[in-house]
Amino acid sequence: MSVKLAGELQSGNVIIVDSNPVVVLKAQYNKSGRNSAVVKVRMKNLMTERISEAIYKADEKLEGVMLERKDCTYSYYAAPMQVFVDSEFNPYEIHEETLADITKYLIPDMTDVCEVTFYEGRPISVLLPKTIIREVEYTEPVVRGDTSGKITKTAVLKHTKHELQVSGFVEIGDKIEIDTETGDFKKRIA
Amino acid sequence: MRCWDLFCRVVDNYGDIGICWRLARQLADLSGEGEDQVRVRLWVDDLESFARLCPAISPRLPVQGVAFIEVCHWSADFPSVDAADVVIEAFACELPPTYIAAMARRATPPVWINLEYLSAEDWVEDCHLLPSPHPTSSLKKYFFFPGFTPGTGGLLRERDLMRMRLAFDAAAEAVFWQSIGIPPRANAELRVSLFCYENPAVPELLQGWAEGPTPIRVLTAPGAATEQSSQWLGRELVVGRSVQVGALTVHAIPFLAQDNYDRLLWSCDINFVRGEDSFVRAQWAQRPFVWQIYPQSEDAHFVKLEAFLSRFLHEVSDPTAISECWRAWNGRGRISFAWPNYVANLAQIRRYGEVWACQLDHAENLANNLVRFVREQL
Repeated sequence: MSVKLAGELQSGNVIIVDSNPVVVLKAQYNKSGRNSAVVKVRMKNLMTERISEAIYKADEKLEGVMLERKDCTYSYYAAPMQVFVDSEFNPYEIHEETLADITKYLIPDMTDVCEVTFYEGRPISVLLPKTIIREVEYTEPVVRGDTSGKITKTAVLKHTKHELQVSGFVEIGDKIEIDTETGDFKKRIA
Repeated sequence: MRCWDLFCRVVDNYGDIGICWRLARQLADLSGEGEDQVRVRLWVDDLESFARLCPAISPRLPVQGVAFIEVCHWSADFPSVDAADVVIEAFACELPPTYIAAMARRATPPVWINLEYLSAEDWVEDCHLLPSPHPTSSLKKYFFFPGFTPGTGGLLRERDLMRMRLAFDAAAEAVFWQSIGIPPRANAELRVSLFCYENPAVPELLQGWAEGPTPIRVLTAPGAATEQSSQWLGRELVVGRSVQVGALTVHAIPFLAQDNYDRLLWSCDINFVRGEDSFVRAQWAQRPFVWQIYPQSEDAHFVKLEAFLSRFLHEVSDPTAISECWRAWNGRGRISFAWPNYVANLAQIRRYGEVWACQLDHAENLANNLVRFVREQL
């Protein structure tokens, strides 16, 4: 067991709630009054598979669970499971609902090394690298004259059709770097 | 009859105890029957501060009854007591470990509520009444968010507040002014109450008023408003005495108990308020008001300020008179530039304040929302 502050929770973390292990699917941080903050957590009970929502003070100490982790790569989708493999090609299936926010970045043949977390031998969550590179399938034409990046527009990613805001100079077919923690566009690669 | 324990730590100023005392009184005043009747025990760690707000409180008594509420001193050495049916911790104050143990020993766990801060932001609706389950015990706490929409916990409002506000006529106002030693209103004089945190805009505002065309009498509340006014005047303001500079008369007023502070808000033409409690009371007062929000790190308070302005002004055709004045008062802009437009639109702002209060009055109040939630849980 380890102490985990609620304000530091990220999707994929496993904590103990009401004596049960739960995996955090989404943690949303909001500033409350007088410099305090609260964290709304969407989580899944690993014993019952039940999904629920809870709220904590950001400075609340929770019990984190020490887990086994393994580097894996994404392999394929077999509805409703996403399949990852380790370096010895052992497959690990994880329900797409559990992966929540990261499915929008999972594409065939991706080479990003992901960290798969196991609880009692069962894969329960996947952490993507801090940044990944994806191809833009569609975006509106280039905003003329803008090289500052301050003007933004919507872009659609190839394969997943995920939409995000990118700088005005990004074009169809460009490769862009994305921050997987915030979901924000970082820069154009090519 | 259900027993409610309400816990309050006085962190700074009087906002915490001000809100808790209002809530305690409103719960005790509920007209429910049977199990909906409420017996309130209020635990406060600073009775000295409480006594300023409620003169009937004796800071020396560890247990006392006031207005049908049992008031207990929350000392470091917390007494051994049975946990109540309903436990409210105000603003996430940490409950005594022995009390939490008493809660866990109950055959039926109490309904445990953390009363949060007021905010007009959208996320509040998503978080209102969410549980906060404990890592290892079966105790579950719920977060209760006050707010301005039906999806939140609502606002504190006494059952008869609007009736009392309506009944407060010119004669009652004259009696009130006399009771706090303020002379009757002179013709065309603008009366302004000033309650604020330390605010760099205060000297600029006072200077503008002194040099302005309209006679203004500003009534400064104890604390930063009176201290900063004294600094600007270059002499210490004494409660009960006026100092005149140009068109401005500055008058320091004593600390007022809650009911009298309400009357002050009802009697002034404009109220400068701060934080949470006086901010809400100013809305019920239906008089133009300017809000100084509690300053937070990383400018988080501006997000909250804009969220309220957006709700408050969504039906106003030209909201700039209010929004620019409020932003300037909170450090974004010059108050001397914003003030003339604000005061030029005063009649319109006042009418809108009445409409806004009417809209708020249609929603259920916070105490009733709490009782309904508790009933659903037990």
